[in-house]
Amino acid sequence: MSFDLSFVVLQLLNGLTNAMFIFLIASGLSIIFGVLGVLNFAHGSLYMLGAYATYQCVSLFVDSPGQFWWAVIAASVAVALLGGIIERLLLRRLYHQEELNQLLLTYALVLVLGDLARFIWGVDQLSVSRPAVLRGAVEILGQYFPKYNVFILFLGPCVAFLFWFFMLRTRWGRMVRAAALDRETLGALGVNVDRLFTVVFMIGSWFGALGGALVAPVITIRPGMDVEIIINAFIVVVIGGLGSFWGTFLGALIVGPVYALGILVFPRLSMIFIYVIMVVVLMTRPWGLLGRPLQR
Amino acid sequence: MSRQNWILIAILVLMGLIPVTGSRYYVFLLTDILIFGLFALSLNLLLGYTGLVSFGHAAYFGIGCYACGLLIKKAGLSFGIAFAATGFFGAAAALIIGFFCVRLTRIYFALLTLAFSQIVWAIVFKWNSLTGGDTGIYDINFPKFLDSRTKYFYFTLAVVSISVLILRKIVNSPFGRILMTIRDNPERTEFIGINVKLFQLLAFIISGFFSAISGGLFAVFNHSIFPDFCYWPVSAEVLIMTILGGMYSFFGPLVGAAVLLYLRMEVTSYTVYWPFILGTILILLLFFFPGGIVGFIENQIKRWRSSK
Amino acid sequence: MRKLLVFVITCMVIMAFSLPAMGAKKIVVGFPMYLSGGGAVFGKPSAEGAKMLVKEVNDAGGVLGRKIELLVRDCKSSPDEATRVAKEMILKDNIDFLVGGLTSSQGLALSDVSKHEKIVYIAPIPKVAKMCEKPRLHSYVFRSACNSKTEGRSAAVLAAKHPWKRIATVGPDYSYGWSVTGAFIPWLKNIKPEVEIVHQAWPKLGESDYTPFISVILASKPDAVFSTLWGGHFITFAKQARDYGFFEKVGFVSAGEAGCMEAIRGAGDDMPLGIISNAYDTFWHPDTAWHRDWVGRVNKFMGTKYASSWAGTGYDAMKFLTEAIKKAGTTDTDKVIKALEGLTIDCSVGKLTMRAKDHQAVRGMYWGPVTKVPEYPFPILKPVRYIPADELMD
Repeated sequence: MSFDLSFVVLQLLNGLTNAMFIFLIASGLSIIFGVLGVLNFAHGSLYMLGAYATYQCVSLFVDSPGQFWWAVIAASVAVALLGGIIERLLLRRLYHQEELNQLLLTYALVLVLGDLARFIWGVDQLSVSRPAVLRGAVEILGQYFPKYNVFILFLGPCVAFLFWFFMLRTRWGRMVRAAALDRETLGALGVNVDRLFTVVFMIGSWFGALGGALVAPVITIRPGMDVEIIINAFIVVVIGGLGSFWGTFLGALIVGPVYALGILVFPRLSMIFIYVIMVVVLMTRPWGLLGRPLQR
Repeated sequence: MSRQNWILIAILVLMGLIPVTGSRYYVFLLTDILIFGLFALSLNLLLGYTGLVSFGHAAYFGIGCYACGLLIKKAGLSFGIAFAATGFFGAAAALIIGFFCVRLTRIYFALLTLAFSQIVWAIVFKWNSLTGGDTGIYDINFPKFLDSRTKYFYFTLAVVSISVLILRKIVNSPFGRILMTIRDNPERTEFIGINVKLFQLLAFIISGFFSAISGGLFAVFNHSIFPDFCYWPVSAEVLIMTILGGMYSFFGPLVGAAVLLYLRMEVTSYTVYWPFILGTILILLLFFFPGGIVGFIENQIKRWRSSK
Repeated sequence: MRKLLVFVITCMVIMAFSLPAMGAKKIVVGFPMYLSGGGAVFGKPSAEGAKMLVKEVNDAGGVLGRKIELLVRDCKSSPDEATRVAKEMILKDNIDFLVGGLTSSQGLALSDVSKHEKIVYIAPIPKVAKMCEKPRLHSYVFRSACNSKTEGRSAAVLAAKHPWKRIATVGPDYSYGWSVTGAFIPWLKNIKPEVEIVHQAWPKLGESDYTPFISVILASKPDAVFSTLWGGHFITFAKQARDYGFFEKVGFVSAGEAGCMEAIRGAGDDMPLGIISNAYDTFWHPDTAWHRDWVGRVNKFMGTKYASSWAGTGYDAMKFLTEAIKKAGTTDTDKVIKALEGLTIDCSVGKLTMRAKDHQAVRGMYWGPVTKVPEYPFPILKPVRYIPADELMD
C-alpha cells in the first residue's frame, strides 16, 4: 500500500485526537499525584463512572436542546462529588501511611466501583449519541475527518490552557501549586490543607469523568472499560512526568501519534512499542520528560 | 530441635495426610494454596523483607509457567529437567529486569516493574507461533511418575516445603538481616558500606527464582497456561494475598493465599460480585487490620498474654 | 511459634468449612459463563436460556426421574478463569456435566479440562473450529454452537453475491478473529478467484481507538470490508467509522453477531444500516408457530419484550445434554457420549443434529442486512434468512 501525504496527515490527526482523550483522562491522575502523592488506580473507575453517568443523564435531559452538553456537565460534576466523598472518607486516612497501602486502597476502589457500576447499570453495552451539531465530517485534504474529533482536538488544548491559567492566576491555583511543593509550610501559613486536598482530588476526578463523558459518544460503555484505560493513563503520566501537568500533555502527544503511526509500520507491535517507551523513560529519566525529581 | 520446628513438622504431616480423606477437592485446593502461597512468599522477600513494592511479579510467575510448559511441550524435555530449569529462567529474567529496576525507588520502582511485566505479557500474547497467543499452551500432562492429582500434591508439598525452608534460612541469615536493614533505612545502610543496590538485586533474583518455581508447579497442575498469568491483575492479586496474611510475618503470605483462595472458591459459588467483596475486605484490612491476619492474631495473643 | 498456631487453626477452619456438598440425586450441570465485563451482555441471556431449559425439564418431572441442578458461575473473559471455575465445580460441587464458556479461548480451555477430567463438555457459544478438529478433538467435547468455519464461509457466500473485488478484513487479533477470517478468505477466493485481499487490519482485542485502523482500511480502497469484531468491539468500531463515511464508501459484512438484537440496541443511533450481519436467533423470524412459541417462552421466562438472540445458545446446549441423557437412559459418561453422537433435537432454530464424526452440531446462522423497520424501535436484519451449515462444514 502506498501512503500519500493526505493519508499520513489524517492518521496523525487520528493519533492527536486520541492523544487529547488520553490527556483529559490522565491529567486528573497527574494532578492528584502531584499534590496528594497518591497514584490513583481508581482513576479508570472514575472515568468509567463518568461515561455511565453521561449515559444516565442523556436519558434524563431527553427533551432539552443542549442534551448532551448538560449531561456531560452533570455527569462530570457528579463524579467529582463522588471523588470528594472518597477522599474524605477513605483516602485521607492513609496519607501518613506507606505508598503501598494507598496503592492498594485505590485498587480496592477499582474492584468496588466496578461492581457497583455493574450492579446499577447491568452488563449491557450502552451507547451515547453524538450531539447533532457534531455529527458528520469535515473534509481535510480530500479525506473525511469526523467533526466530533475536530471538536476534541480543540477542546483538549483549551482545557489545558484554562487549567494552566487557573493554576497561575487564581488564589486556589497558587495554593495547589504550593501544596505540591511543601504541604507542611502551607499548613503552617494557615491554609486549610485538608480542604485543599479534597478540592484537588475532586478536580482530578472531574478530569477523569470529563474524559469518560466526552469519550462516551465514540466508544461502547461497558463493564471493564475502567481496567482497560488505566494502564494507558499510567503510561502517559509516567512518560510526561508524574505530577507534571504539561508533562501529561506532552506524554499524550507522544503516545497518541506513535500508536497511530506505529500501526502503519509494524501493525501488531504497536502495543509493545508503547510499553518500551515507558520503560526507557523510567530508566533514563524516572521523573519523566517534564517532571521534577521527587523530593518527598 | 526448637518447638517451632516441631510444629512445622506436625503441620507437614497433617497436610500429607489430607489425601487419606479421599477428597479430591481438598487435594486440589491445598495444591493450589501451596503453589500460590510459595508465589506470595517469594514476593514477600522483596515486599516485607527488602521494602520494595513490585507491581509486576506476575511476570516471573508467568515466565515460570511458560518456561515449564514450553520446555515440556515444544522442546520435548522430560518434566524433571524442564521443572529444574524453570527457576533459572525466572532468576535470569529477574536479573535482567531487576538490574534496571533497583536503580529506582518507591513508586518509580513499582511502575518500572509494572511496565516490564506488561512487556512480558505483550510478548507472550503476541508471539503466537511460540506461545499459542490467547489460547495458550494446553495438554501439559502430569509426568509418568506423578500421574495422579494426589501424587502431584505430594510433589508440590515437597517442593514448596523445601523452598519455604530455603527462604526461611535466607531471611534468618545475615543476608536476610541486611535486607531488613535496607528496608528500614536504605540511606543509612549505604553509609555503613553495604552495596544496597546489589543486595536488592540479589533479593530480586531469589524472589524471581521462587516465583518461577511456583509458576512451573502451576503449569503442570493446571495442565494449560494462558497469557493472563502474566497480566497485571495477577500481580495485584498476589500483593493482596501477601497483605491479607501479613507482610511482616514470615508465614503471613501463605496464610493470605490460603484465606483468599478459599474465600474466592466459596464466595463465587453464591454471587458474581466477588470483586466487590474482595475490594471491601481489602479496605477493611487497610483500615482496621494493617498487620494482616497473622499480624492481628499475633497482637491479640500478645495482649492476652500481657493481661494475664 | 504463635504464627504456627494460627496457621494450624486456619488449616483446620479451611478443612472444616469446605466439605464438598456430597452428591444428591440431582443431575448437576456446571455452567461457567462470561458474566462480568464486556461480553456479559451475551453471557447473561445465554445462562438464562440454560436456566429456562432446566426449569422446563424439571417442571415436566426431570430426566430419568431425576431433577437437574444448574450451577451458573462467572468465569469472566479469560480462559484461565474458565479453567479454574470449571475445575472447582468438578471437584467441589461434583458436577456431572460441563456446559459453558463464551470466548473461543474459553472453549478450548474448557475442552482441555473436560479431557483431563473425563467429563462431557458442550460448548454453547465458543466457535473456534479447531476445538472440534484434530489434534484437539477428543471424545468428551461437543459443540452446539455454529463454528468459525461455517460462520466465515457463510459470510463468503453472501459476499460473493456482490460485485466486490477488492476486499479488506478487520478482526480482533486473537484466535476467534483469525479463525473466522481464515475461513472466509479461501472460501471467497474459491467462489470468486478474481477477489483480491487488499488489507488486513488486526486491532487488539478490546481496542478503544479504531480510528487509525479505519483510515488505513479506507486508504487501501476496498470495495467491501469483512469484519469479525463482535459485540461491543463492533459497536465501538461502527461509532468511530461512521463519520469517516466508512459505511457509504464500502460494503460491509460483519460476522460476530453484530446483527444480534443486543448489539443493535447497544449501538443505538450509531448502528450502520445496510451492513450484512448475523445472529444466532431473530425473534421476528421465522414467523412460524413453533418459533413464535419459542419466542413467547423466552419472553415470559426472562421478562423481556423482545426475546434475546442469545437465550437459544444456552438452551440448545442444555437440550442436547438432557436429550442425550434421556436417550442413554443413564448419566454414565461413555453412554451419554454415544447418545450425543448423531443426536437430533428440536430447539431454538428448529432441528439440530450433532455430527458423530467431529462432535459438531450442523448449525448455521441467521444472516441479513441491517434495516430500519416501522414495527420495532430499533433496526433488525431484514430480509433475514437462515443459512444452513450442511454444505459449508467440510
